Amino acid sequence: MKIGVIGDSNTVLGFRLTGVRETRETDDPKEALEALKTFFKDKDMGLIIITERLADKLRTEIERLTKGVVTPLLVEIPDKEGSIERKVDPINELVRRAVGVEIKFK
Amino acid sequence: MAELIEGVNPTRMELLKLKGKVKLAKKGHRLLKEKRDALIMEFFNILEEARGVRRRTESKLEEAYKALILSQAILGGIKVREASMAVKPLDGVEVRSRNIMGVKVPVLEIGETRRTLIERGYGIIDTSAQLDEATTKFEEALRAVVELAEIEKSIRLLAEEIESTKRRVNALENIVIPRLSATVKYIKMRLDEMERENFFKLKRIKTTMESA
Repeated sequence: MKIGVIGDSNTVLGFRLTGVRETRETDDPKEALEALKTFFKDKDMGLIIITERLADKLRTEIERLTKGVVTPLLVEIPDKEGSIERKVDPINELVRRAVGVEIKFK
Repeated sequence: MAELIEGVNPTRMELLKLKGKVKLAKKGHRLLKEKRDALIMEFFNILEEARGVRRRTESKLEEAYKALILSQAILGGIKVREASMAVKPLDGVEVRSRNIMGVKVPVLEIGETRRTLIERGYGIIDTSAQLDEATTKFEEALRAVVELAEIEKSIRLLAEEIESTKRRVNALENIVIPRLSATVKYIKMRLDEMERENFFKLKRIKTTMESA
């Protein structure tokens, strides 16, 4: 199955160098969402890589797209400026919902 | 006091049926509770692992970006872009699934991401070693990203399963079981009441017959 990348120019460039073909280079959340939707429709898409910066702006749409869907998987990675400070860390949010208490990890 | 189930007849048959249901509900409750606890334990195990994988992926990516920017500085942005266009496509990932406590989680398999200079496909003559370095770093990062994707998805799926199991446990504990027990109690009281009534009736008849 294919791998897709959505992100800024450096992220896309880097992954293109490894041989990933399905890429969308954008800084605009709207365009990213557009690309995300096309990728999600593609039956042969196994993994979508998106930058945290874009994903954070599309949180609700991403929730809607990924709910109950196994493939393609979606993974958020930091871009060249590193990991961003997020209001709600998605993983921590999951822990809070599943266990009922927030657990801080060092 | 929980509310009663509507429309039940206070009969012995119904009582027996309800008692069976209470027993079943309690058994289900216990089993679901065990499932929930086991899932939470599994969840924490994976969570611990995921934190490590995420940190590792982030540092790998950071290195990769640095190398890429350096190669852009040396070769120029356009040359790097040109090279990226010439790279041969990757095989992609294989998505399989694995079972954790009844939850299907994906397993991603990716072939060797690291390739030799020749396999990559961009021209060797007009590029530099910096670009090769950046590509190698990104190839390593890609592997880490794939691993991260797999583990984060597993966590998400486990969390969803825990949530729904928790909801079912709570529904049984707070609604279904109290309601059933309340109805059982109600029927018992009604039956007792009927028995007393009957007993008194018989006594009454006996006294009237004796005095007659």
